[in-house]
Amino acid sequence: MSIFTPTNQIRLTNVAVVRMKKGGKRFEIACYKNKVMSWRSGAEKDLDEVLQTNTVFVNVSKGQVAKKDDLSSAFGTDDVTEVCKQILAKGELQVSDKERQSQLEQMFRDIATIVAEKCVNPETKRPYTVILIERAMKDIHFSVKANKSTKQQALEVIKQLKQSIQIQRAHMRLRFVLPAKDGKRLKEKLRPLIKTVENEEFDDQLEMVCLIDPGCFRDIDELIRCETKGKGTLEVLSLKDVEEGDEKLE
Amino acid sequence: MGLTILEKIIALQKKTSHIRNLCILAHVDHGKTTLADSLVASNGIISSRLAGKLRYLDSREDEQIRGITMKSSAISLHYTTGGNEYLINLIDSPGHVDFSSEVSTAVRLCDGAIVVVDAVEGVCPQTQVVLRQAWLENIRPVLVINKIDRLIVELKLTSQEAFTHLQKILEQVNAVTGSLFTSKVLEERAEKDAEAQSSCTENSSADQVYDWSAGLEETDDSDLYFSPDRGNVVFASAIDGWGFRYILRFFKQRALSHFIKLISPCFSLSSQSKGKKPLFVQLVLDNIWNMYDAVVTRRDKEKVEKMVTSLGLKVMSRDLRHSDPKVLLSAICSQWLPVSRAVLSMVCEKLPCPAEISAERVEKLMSVGARRFDSLPEKTQELKKAFLDCSADETAPVIVFVSKMFAVDSKALPQNKQRPLTQEEIAQRRELARQRHAERQAANQSYIYTLFCSADALCAQTEALSVKAAVEEENKEHFVAFARVYSGVVRKGQKVFVLGPKYDPSLALRALPEGCSVADVLPSIPHMTCCTVDSLYLLMGRELEELDEVPSGNVLGIGGMEEFILKSATISTSPACPPFTPLNFEATPIVRVAVEPKHPSEMPKLVRGMRLLNQADPCAEVLIQETGEHVLVTAGEVHLQRCLDDLRERFAKIEISASEPIIPFRETVIRPPKMDMVNEDLGKQQKVAVIHQVKEEQMKNPEGVQVDSTGLVTLTTPNKMATVRVRAIPLPEEVTRLLEDNVELIRTMEQFSLFAWEDKTLDINQKILENIQDFKVKLESNLQGHKWRGAVEHIWAFGPRRCGPNILLNNIEGYRRPSVWQCLEREKETERAEIRDFDNSIVSGFQLATLSGPMCEEPLMGVCFSVETWHMKISAPLAQQDSVDEDSQPAEPSNDDQSESSDVHETSSNRSRSRVEAAGGSVDCYGPFSGQLIAAMKEACRFAFQAKPQRLMAAMYTCEIMATAEVLGRMYAVLSKREGRVLQEEMKEGTDMFIIKAVLPVAESFGFADEIRKRTSGLASPQLVFSHWEVISSDPFWVPTTEEEYLHFGEKADSTNQTLKYMNAVRRRKGLYVEEKIVEHAEKQRTLSKNK
Repeated sequence: MSIFTPTNQIRLTNVAVVRMKKGGKRFEIACYKNKVMSWRSGAEKDLDEVLQTNTVFVNVSKGQVAKKDDLSSAFGTDDVTEVCKQILAKGELQVSDKERQSQLEQMFRDIATIVAEKCVNPETKRPYTVILIERAMKDIHFSVKANKSTKQQALEVIKQLKQSIQIQRAHMRLRFVLPAKDGKRLKEKLRPLIKTVENEEFDDQLEMVCLIDPGCFRDIDELIRCETKGKGTLEVLSLKDVEEGDEKLE
Repeated sequence: MGLTILEKIIALQKKTSHIRNLCILAHVDHGKTTLADSLVASNGIISSRLAGKLRYLDSREDEQIRGITMKSSAISLHYTTGGNEYLINLIDSPGHVDFSSEVSTAVRLCDGAIVVVDAVEGVCPQTQVVLRQAWLENIRPVLVINKIDRLIVELKLTSQEAFTHLQKILEQVNAVTGSLFTSKVLEERAEKDAEAQSSCTENSSADQVYDWSAGLEETDDSDLYFSPDRGNVVFASAIDGWGFRYILRFFKQRALSHFIKLISPCFSLSSQSKGKKPLFVQLVLDNIWNMYDAVVTRRDKEKVEKMVTSLGLKVMSRDLRHSDPKVLLSAICSQWLPVSRAVLSMVCEKLPCPAEISAERVEKLMSVGARRFDSLPEKTQELKKAFLDCSADETAPVIVFVSKMFAVDSKALPQNKQRPLTQEEIAQRRELARQRHAERQAANQSYIYTLFCSADALCAQTEALSVKAAVEEENKEHFVAFARVYSGVVRKGQKVFVLGPKYDPSLALRALPEGCSVADVLPSIPHMTCCTVDSLYLLMGRELEELDEVPSGNVLGIGGMEEFILKSATISTSPACPPFTPLNFEATPIVRVAVEPKHPSEMPKLVRGMRLLNQADPCAEVLIQETGEHVLVTAGEVHLQRCLDDLRERFAKIEISASEPIIPFRETVIRPPKMDMVNEDLGKQQKVAVIHQVKEEQMKNPEGVQVDSTGLVTLTTPNKMATVRVRAIPLPEEVTRLLEDNVELIRTMEQFSLFAWEDKTLDINQKILENIQDFKVKLESNLQGHKWRGAVEHIWAFGPRRCGPNILLNNIEGYRRPSVWQCLEREKETERAEIRDFDNSIVSGFQLATLSGPMCEEPLMGVCFSVETWHMKISAPLAQQDSVDEDSQPAEPSNDDQSESSDVHETSSNRSRSRVEAAGGSVDCYGPFSGQLIAAMKEACRFAFQAKPQRLMAAMYTCEIMATAEVLGRMYAVLSKREGRVLQEEMKEGTDMFIIKAVLPVAESFGFADEIRKRTSGLASPQLVFSHWEVISSDPFWVPTTEEEYLHFGEKADSTNQTLKYMNAVRRRKGLYVEEKIVEHAEKQRTLSKNK
């Protein structure tokens, strides 16, 4: 190794270090910021746009390059490009600002989309637009948690939104047919779970069409299945009870 | 205004022959409102000094700020000439294209129109439009050539040049009128020809005689044209307050008689002796030029004084001394040649009074749409006489037409206005105050402070409450109907019929007993309501004056109609009265925006506000879309701005934001293309390989999915019990259209199978059955070829929502299920295969897949999924148990609501099955089996879809554009910039207008109308109507693959891919993953750490 002088040293700026431990050794590569996630998702296909130098380090900040022997013992190859790709794919890294920001933004929008899909304005039975939901979410200072699923967070945010705007989950329309002897007993049990009963016929068997909150679906399903021992049937008429078609305001 | 004038007006309203209803029409900025100002000033409503600056009729704030008129507003004026008193109902109209609907509402109520033309700019696009509008409504126009001062001061023309210039303008205007006339004559001629032709063919006479004369020669059109010698042209400068029609006032009275003979030829501008100035220039223009020269240019005080005295005028010394010469000029001119007198005298002389309404116009007004006048019921035809009489008799039937509703602050209503108190009232109040004072003193003396205080507090409270209520009351918008009485007398408290635009008198006449009146209790008839006239107003620009009765021939405002009239209506005491023909709007609403409140909680207020706006604006449309968007459709950008302002400040009173509306897309697959992007023929293998390669990159490791080279996808459920093989096939275009058109039929069929599933029957009437049969035959005829053999019989389901334009095909060997056509066959299928129980899961999987495609979660369209095989490794008891929860198909979507991820990765299917049995069939580790099957089917469909070349479908507008020849080029530029495609172009007969038909993606239509108008200076106006879905030809996932493509596009294919742009926009809006780099160039980022 040549003498380390200010003239022959190469300074790297804007470094994002990706580390990986393998075979008891730590390996690092020097990448550009905001690029590693794009590489992993497949959006960036040019390796040179990701890597600062085509070298595997032991320590990037000190500029210590990994030895060839170590590489081949840990990765089974001494092809630096191949090793870099492996580290890029599996190594751990500090997510940089723009990456995190875009990720959170995307999640936020995803949550808003889910809420908009699942909910309606109870007065008009029409969905809210995503933009409006986003604005309402910002109004109640909702913050996205990166480690929770968007669906879960969407369900939470619906509860919070109820306090500020008129919103409710779109009802599911169900129809179930119950044998007569179970009918009466079950009806009492089902009553608290049902929002509105639209149609009810009771001759030789009980037939009901009703609207329920989608959250109760599992309970109802379970109840009917267990109590009737498979004789009752449950059928979903529509997943979302919303108005269809355009309406002219007059 | 003074009380005396009001009384005079009320008196004059009864003299029909002395009423003139007229409107002022012109291009934007040609000086309509300024002219109206000077007319208003002549009545002393505003000071003549302010005339032209105040713009009295522009009462809205934004009108004043922007300097353009945005609504039509009426004012009643009084004019005396030669011992005759006239009532003039003047309507000022906006000139901007966006508000041409307001012009329509104004024109309808008038008998005559003043067309104003700028002397410098000449005939402009809107001038042509208003002339056409006046022509269509059969009202008589007179001409005012305005802004002649600009010829002198700005252009510095000599009087001679100005003369030729004016001549040219006059010719232009007459040319427009002439072309309107010719086109009408030609049209009539064509009609006549068509009739003749039909009779000819009947007779089949061999000797046909062709008449080549167009009929123009026979029809006299001389009375249509504007010419000064006919006295229907005024030369004016409204801003300086002068105008003249005849030139008498240029001479002293004495000389007049001598000149009278000389003058007559000089009215016609063309008379010109050789080498000399024409008489018009000598006698008229030179005088004016001299005046401007003396007053404005040279500021020659002495000369001015000389002129003033020779004209016998009196000018105040204050004006003489004023530093701005314009003040002096208008002071002189307004006395010398007052514009109001010139215009008003012309109006009274040349325009018809309401009683002179032509029979032709009446018939046109009364016959709605294509209905001929003679086809109307007899009683209705009788009403024509009432129209023609225009009598204000008690017996005459009342006929009123409401052309628009306008909102008025309740403060502006005369009932709520503060009036000066009369002497007695003042005295009374003083007395009251004195009493109160005395009482208070008495109370004070009695020392019952505590009681008094509490009582007082109570009083204060109630007072505060009532004040609050009053404030709320005041905030309410009142609507006043802008209307005209055509016959009879309208009275306050009168009961009348309100007839909507779709009302049919023949229906009503049949339903109603003979000779019934409004007071009777009537059966309800569509589009007809009864109501009482609440209040009547005289429209005085910004103000309203209350009236008790209005006789026929007058323009008026009617209050309290907002619940009965939406936008326009006919009011009558006779049920035989037909609704008037709808207003013909030159501009239809096309600019669409989505409106949202700033604070989501204010949604109800917005909806209410939009309803009010809809009522107040004749041309705005509001609707709620299926997506939940509130969409506002307006005629143009300026109109949109006004509507938004109105919503913000008047109707909704909340902050709102407007944005581009959401644009729907559809996803589809197509056949593998034969050509590549540079139009080179592709070998078949090569392209398949390419697709394969791309696909491999896309789905690196979906477990349990196999895709073979023909696009057949094999997928197994997570518990390895079921395997499905699915293939996606593009449907022919005609089939897709057929499916779209027959949604209702499919829904009926679906209902039938649902009932059949439960061993019940649904009765369908014969006609629908026939329709279904017909539909099936059509489908069969469209699905020809060996690929589709027997396909129609094998249709399993339609989707999404069980009735969409996608098909699920049952191509499984040996699997029989009742066909979707079972309602036709009426035969029961008895045997049930074991796997039949899961039939529904496959269908729901298909429904879910078609509801949101893999490209950007938009619905699919025109895709056929054919299930090739379906294996089940299943034990009988499980099948039984699962048949229970089999109906719970959406378990899959709703299941993942709660976290069930904990035990997902157990794999042994045996163990799970035993557990299922033990638990009494609740759930195995992957959830219910039916749910798994749904998910598997859905995924299989998605992969099958992706294995084919995918395309987006865009919603398309058809767009009809009328444009003159000179702007065609620029219009094409706008069209091609926005990905539009021209279908046809033809010339409209008898005019120089071209009609272009084009299609344009909805996604590109935002701002299109505005851009095309700007680029063509308003000469082309597009109309957009949704027409169909169209496949966008470019592939969103396209990358250069062949050598030619590399050469042509480079490695990265930098040219923008339209489809990808759309797709990414949708994905970004929905929060889906968008494949794009956060940072394009790694090296070009900002360096954050500075210590290096």
